[in-house]
Parts: sequence; C-alpha cells; structure tokens
Amino acid sequence: MPVLEASGVRKQFGGVVALAGAQFALEVGEVHALIGSNGCGKSTLCKIIAGSVAADAGSLLLDGRAVSFAGPRQAAAAGIGVFYQELSLIREMTVAENILLGREPRGRAGMLDRDALEAAAAAALAQFDDVLGAGVHPRARVADLSADQSQLVEILKVLAAGPRILIFDEATAALDRNQVSAVFQRIRALKGEGRSVIFITHRMDEVFEIADRVTVMRNGATVLTCALAQITRDELVGTMVGGAVARAGRDRRHVPSEEIALEVENLSAAKLAGVSFKLRRGEIVGLGGLHGQGQSELLRALFGATPLRGGAVRVAGQPLDPRGPRAVMRRSIAYVSGDRGRYGVMAIRPIFENLVISLLARDRRWTVARQRLEREVGPFIERLKLKFSSLRAAVSELSGGNQQKVVLGRWLATRPGVLLLDDPTKGIDIQTKEDLYATMDELCGQGVAILLHSSDDEELLAVADRVLVFNGGQVMGELSGEQRTRFALYQAAYASKHPA
Amino acid sequence: MRATAASRFSTQRHPYLMAAVVFLVLCAVNAILQPTFLRFGVAASNVAAFLPMALVAVGQTYVVLASDIDLSAGAVVSLVNVVVVSIIDGMGGTGTSMALGLVTGLALGLLCGAVNGLCVAFLRFQPIVTTFATGIVFAGFALWVLPQAGRQVPPDLYLTYAGSLLGVPTVLWILAAAIAFAALVARTRFYQALRATGGNMQAAYQTGVPVARVRLGAYTISGLFAALAALALVGETASGDPLIGGALTLSSVTAVVLGGTALRGCVGGVAGSILGAFILGLISNVIFFAQLPFEWQGLIQGLIILAALAGGVVMARGRQD
Repeated sequence: MPVLEASGVRKQFGGVVALAGAQFALEVGEVHALIGSNGCGKSTLCKIIAGSVAADAGSLLLDGRAVSFAGPRQAAAAGIGVFYQELSLIREMTVAENILLGREPRGRAGMLDRDALEAAAAAALAQFDDVLGAGVHPRARVADLSADQSQLVEILKVLAAGPRILIFDEATAALDRNQVSAVFQRIRALKGEGRSVIFITHRMDEVFEIADRVTVMRNGATVLTCALAQITRDELVGTMVGGAVARAGRDRRHVPSEEIALEVENLSAAKLAGVSFKLRRGEIVGLGGLHGQGQSELLRALFGATPLRGGAVRVAGQPLDPRGPRAVMRRSIAYVSGDRGRYGVMAIRPIFENLVISLLARDRRWTVARQRLEREVGPFIERLKLKFSSLRAAVSELSGGNQQKVVLGRWLATRPGVLLLDDPTKGIDIQTKEDLYATMDELCGQGVAILLHSSDDEELLAVADRVLVFNGGQVMGELSGEQRTRFALYQAAYASKHPA
Repeated sequence: MRATAASRFSTQRHPYLMAAVVFLVLCAVNAILQPTFLRFGVAASNVAAFLPMALVAVGQTYVVLASDIDLSAGAVVSLVNVVVVSIIDGMGGTGTSMALGLVTGLALGLLCGAVNGLCVAFLRFQPIVTTFATGIVFAGFALWVLPQAGRQVPPDLYLTYAGSLLGVPTVLWILAAAIAFAALVARTRFYQALRATGGNMQAAYQTGVPVARVRLGAYTISGLFAALAALALVGETASGDPLIGGALTLSSVTAVVLGGTALRGCVGGVAGSILGAFILGLISNVIFFAQLPFEWQGLIQGLIILAALAGGVVMARGRQD
C-alpha cells in the first residue's frame, strides 16, 4: 500500500485549470521524482499535498485513509514536510530560531530553553558541516547567509520536524556539486529509515541520480509513472512535451539587421548570474526555460527596476547605466509586464492618463496639453485597434486584453528602439494575442528590437527568432531556426549541472 | 554579507542600543538643567509621569512585532479610565467597588484588544484603518459613559498608587511587573511565533505557525496594557477624563520606533519601547526646565524626536552596507 496516494485531483484557479484529474502514488521508502513542463500542475499538486491549497475534487489517501488538510499545520501534524522553493525562512531571525520554529524545546514552566534550542540547531547543522561554508552557526541571522547556505538551512528545517513524507521543491537549485552530494546522502539515509521523498528538480541528472521512480505531468494530468531504470532521458523529455512533436516557429520570419540594438555582457543581479547576449534591430529574442529562472528578473534589471550587481549593458553601442526606469526610458527602452495590476495599469484612472503617462514621465513636461497629447497618442490607438467608449473612462472598464493594449500603446508613443516584454499576453484573449503578435511583427519590420519572455512555451517558440533558455539565472542554451521545438527547449531547460 | 565579529555587537543584535544612548544623553542634560533630577523622589515621580505612556508602548510593541499596528490604544485608555472611575464612584467608593472597577477595567481592555484582533487577523481587515475606526468607536463609548471630565475615586486608591510598598514606590513595582511580564513572554513559543509572523507572514503560515491566533494574541496584550495605563492614570489623576488617552496612540508608536522596533515587524523588543517612552517624557522635561518660551516648545520637541529617529536610521543604514 502506498504511503500517500492522490487520485482524480482537480483544481481550478479562476478560469484556468491547473489540475485535471492528477494521479500520484508514493511508496514507502522511495524517492519519487515529479517532472513536467511549465504549468503542468506539479507545484499545485504539491501544495495540495502540503495543505496550503485546497483541491476542488479528488481524494488524498494517507496510509490508505482519506485525509483533507485545512492548512499546512494539519499536513505537518500528519507527518508531511515541505521544502518551499521560495524558502520559508524568517530573514531577521537566527538559524536556530528558524530551524526549530514552532518546535522550540521548552524547559521549566514551559519557557523556551535557549541553550537546548541552540544545541539542537548545532546538531542539525553538523549534518552538513563539511559543505555549509563559513558563517553558519546557530546564532547567525538568516539574512546574513548566502543563497546556498539559506537553502541548506531550509532543508535542515524540514528535516528537523522528522516528517515521514518529504517534498523537495527545487531544493538543490542554488547548491554546488558537493552540497548536492551531501543532500543526496541525507536523502538516501532517509530512504533507509523508511521515509518517502517527492523530488522536484529542473536538472535531469539529478532525477537519474537520486530517484527510484518518476511521474511526468502534462496539462494538469499525470501522463506517466515508471521506474527510472526503464526509461531514457530523451524518452522522458518526449513524454514531458507530449506527442505533438517538433512544431517549428511560424513562417513569418523577421529580417534582422546587422546593427546591434542591445548588448548585455556578463550581467549579474538578484537571481541572475552572468548573462550575456546580443539583440539585433528588427529581431525578437525569446527568454525561455522553466518558470522563475531569471527571465523576468533580467527584463526588470535591464529596465532599471532592480539594481545590477555587475556586468555591462550597451544600447546601440553606447553604455547604459540602468539606475532607474526613467534613465532607461530616455534611451528609448520600453517595458511591458503581463502583471498589469502590479506593473501596468492605474486601474481607476482614465484610459487617457494611462496612455500618456510614459510620455509625461519621460519628458518632464510642466503642463499637460490634453489636445496635443491626444494627437500624439492617437495613431497608436488606431494601430492597436483599441476598443473603448471614451478616453475619459476608467481603464478598469476595459477587458484585460484591451488594458494590455493601453499599456503597450503608452510605450509605443515614446517610439522605443528596444521593447522589453515580460509575459505580455498573460490572461488575455486569443484575438488580442493575435493583434499583439501582428504589432510585434510590424515593429520588427521598422527596426525595433524585442526581448520577449513568455510563460507560454508555444507562443515563445512561435514568435521569437531565437530563444535563450534560462536555468538558475544563466543562459544554458540558445535555440534558433529548426531547433525551436518544445523538445529542444526542455532538453536544454533540464540540462544544467551544478557548479563544481 | 556574512556576519562579522564587528557587526555581531551592534544595533543588529541590540536594536535598543541607540535608544539607550539617547536616553543617557537626555538624563545628563536633564540633570544639568534640574539639579534635583537624580534624587530618588524626583526620579520616582518622573517614572510615575511616564508610566502610562510606557505601558501603552509595551502593549503596542507586541502588535508592531507582528507587523501590525494598534491605532486604538489611546481610545482604549480613555474608555477604561472613565468606566473604572464611573464604577468606583457610582458604587460609593467601597473596597468592593474598587476591586470590581479594576477587574472590569482590565477585562474591558482585553475585550477591546480582542475585537481589534478578530477584525484584523480573522476577518482580514486592514490594520491601520480598522484600529483607527475601532478607536473612534471606543472613544465614542468613553464620551457616552462620561461626557465631561470629573467624578472621583476614594483617597485609598490614589494614595496607594502614589505611595510605597515595602519601601519601594508603587509605580516602580508596576514598571517592574511590566518588565517581568515582557521577560517571561520573550521566553515563550508565542513570542517566536509572533516575530516569525512579523518577519514573513506567508513563511510563518507555511511552517505551521497559527498566524491568526498569534496576531489576535498581540492585539489582546495591547488592549490589556492600554487598560493598565488607564488604571495608572486613575491613580495619577484620581478622576475620569474621556479624552485622556487621545495623544497616547501616536506617542506610543513613536516610543516603539524610537526604541528600535521596526514597523515592518520581527525586529525589536519591549525594553527599547520603555526607553522610547522615557525618552519622550524626558524631552518634555528638558524643554520645561530649559525655560523655553511656550511658543517654541512644540517645535523643539518635534526636532529632538526627529533627531533621535534619524540616529536610529543612520545606524541601521550603516549595517546594511
């Protein structure tokens, strides 16, 4: 009997189906890898098992008995421990306080026993003694640790609860080769104790190194579960991307000029480690790979919204110092995010204001000459086929797609040379998507260079001339021409290795 | 950046260090301006004067540690003050009436705090707006109970408050009790959960910390300490005043911040807030004894508070680089 069995699990977020009848069974004492492409539902399934998301339908059996968790607390009490990809550490608290949060040893009269707390933390840290590096001790603040050290502390926090079922969601992402070996050694020991592990990673090497079995998910459903001894790497990647093999990009190709519009050299920032590439005028370069590997961070860093740590950026051959969005937009660079609510529209303000805000911000105008501005943005309203009742209506009255056109329109009015698009078609209808693709093609024809990140792999492969595949904040591969297939994309996305 | 030996002994570990420095400076200035300042009797009367604000600040600290805020604390002080006085005076000032009044006052403070906590933590209302609104409600109740300052409590009560117990002034006992309470709370799992909640609510929730209950607990403590401050004010003024707590809300937040507790939560502690409250009180003293013209007092007071805050910010910046 499996220790954990999920069947027929369904979950919908708004109109989006995240899980459409997923099956998953975890045996006692096994390491079970869970893999799949973007949006396949593996994270949602883990969150349901961990009790932080409630399923719409389906059953969850623990030791053969049906359970449903009201929250992470109940799941933890049932013996489920989760390593969270984004970490669940409190930065301002110490390593010891974090590792034993909620399980602090108590002494006389129920008071916290700080000595015992730190001794327990020290014992936990001793497990990774050889690979933790300098500065990690029970009293160190987590905020003072490096990314790999924090990740190891999060692992120790999960282990300290002594769970029977462990979920590791990208637990090795920031670790080097030795650290991964130490973690794998611990995982093998856990197996020996009869504990079970669900292991999510974006490194195929690790799947074959540590896992006994693998489950592949696609479009919210389970498509394959088998022992790793019975399958090859390429078969796994093929299963992940599905039967519709090797659809190359559209026929509409752009004709890039030889002129370099944007050159990025060895750029480092939060979540980015040494990114280099060139973007030519009239070209669309896509940023792909699994979600959250630094694609959005690159666009935001280039736009000056987050600080750079190192590297050089050149626009049309001239150095650019992206110290703030305003400095960057004066160099004819524009940024459109798919997260309209957060980075795009000012929801309760009129469409007109939303359209002219970039012009106003760039040019530091003293007065707002409404009619002149209307003349300036007018052509773009027509070109984007924007549908609206009145320019004075609140932008929130428009559909998501039309709101996105407003955001794009405000930037087109500044006549950008480089367009940074961060998942611009997220949550908008098909017709508007087609309009946006047509606009992008048209802009390319005029010599605009476009850097596009999309969470929709099909879109990325179809629209971009070249695709840079990101993994852990680095470019791990470049796909162009006939290579632009989902198969090649996921082969590259899962290919990275740990630094030695 | 990794922790270095130098940064380990800094405001990072002891966020109230800055407040301690400012406190000592102000003590020195005060002692120069008022030669009797260091006498025991004068010091005790200063503590008596600063005690209500210090108590409100202690309660506020717990709420702020959870990254929330309690803008109703001053109104709770007013409400409890008038209710206690009305009960004691209304029942003829007997011993029973005093006991009943004090207990009712504390219970009322707990209740007000629980209302705030339920609204913010369980109904997920926005903390600033919610406690501002409940504060108006509490203040409204206070005016309804006692529309004008007045009524009286029997001498037994205020003489005990102004007197001594085993040779130590009562107000020092109360302050010591508050510090002891804080020291105990700081050694509970609740306190760790509170800091975790303030540090990263999502992470705390995922770790299994009962976030809503923790926030409710913090608001309840704040209500309790507001009630204690109200009782101290009854002892101090011997009468009721429906407007007495009004200024305490924001000065308690100021005291908490002066004491090194971060409004974003997790960092800080009660010791700093008590120092912060004393700093605010000493600033008023210094201005009084410096015999500044009346029209300059507000201006100078504000500037000194700003300077004290700036000191904390500068030290915090230094450790981030």
